Amino acid sequence: MSATEAEADLSEEEYAALELVRETGGLHQSDLWKELGVSSRQGSRIAESLTEFGLVKRSEAVYKGHTTYFIEPAARDLEFSLLMASDMLSPFIGEEEIDPNSDAFSQWLMNLAYEDY
Amino acid sequence: MATANGPPPGVGDFNRLGGEISMMAFDELLNDPVIQKYLHELVGPKGMPVAAAPAEGEVTDEELAEELGLELNDVRRALFILYENDLATYRRVRDEDSGWLTYLWTFEYDNIPQNLAEEMERLMQALDRREEYERENEFYLCEVCSLRFEFGEAMDFGFECPECGSPLEAMENDRLLDAMQDRLDELEDELNADLGTISA
Repeated sequence: MSATEAEADLSEEEYAALELVRETGGLHQSDLWKELGVSSRQGSRIAESLTEFGLVKRSEAVYKGHTTYFIEPAARDLEFSLLMASDMLSPFIGEEEIDPNSDAFSQWLMNLAYEDY
Repeated sequence: MATANGPPPGVGDFNRLGGEISMMAFDELLNDPVIQKYLHELVGPKGMPVAAAPAEGEVTDEELAEELGLELNDVRRALFILYENDLATYRRVRDEDSGWLTYLWTFEYDNIPQNLAEEMERLMQALDRREEYERENEFYLCEVCSLRFEFGEAMDFGFECPECGSPLEAMENDRLLDAMQDRLDELEDELNADLGTISA
């Protein structure tokens, strides 16, 4: 199932949780259920299903002395076109080192500044 | 490879492809023009047929070569590039009869979004470092050759283009700086990050 299809199938609470994760850019599961006003058990279930849909990424974390999860938006949701300047892809792809003064990057920057003209 | 005695245990059914390579699993990813460009950048034009049609499940290089009508070497090269970029894995299985090793490849395109997220972070760092350079230097341009020189270089050349001899003109880079700052802001916003939190 694609991320957008999955979103259409979300319950109201799951959708609210997803919005919260996206707005905050990531938060701990213990804060998530408190913000949503649901029980910790419900919060855990919501986070699990969002993870299964691939809409968020969940990683173990210790927070305020308790083991919980940190929940952040899945990379899938990102706007990858920000790697483009006009029709040129970031010149650092496939390169080990980032050289900010390389000719290829200069070309990319010229495309970026003058793409509308 | 599978022999007349049948495939060695654990190799699975080599006829699984049945004349078509399924790309259903990663359809949505592969429809993204940025991802298409990304794969093309990695494997090059010769490897693109391999990268653009990821098989579902395990597949051998020979199967792919036959299926796609490509040279085995080109298929292998593409697969190893994908492997180096965490986009394919393999396991080796020894044929008990022939003693030959067979490589069974699996496409791991679920890692594409994470790879591109990392590229966005790298781009952000580059923009940040370049911005400083653009801000701190003055530039001169040869309008004929479209070459740009730092102030010091331009002075060394007597403000004449070393290629064509045309006079070098002072060049404003405000517009470049604005475009860089805009893209930096967009990237920061999208990644919910500031440069302090991103490891180099």
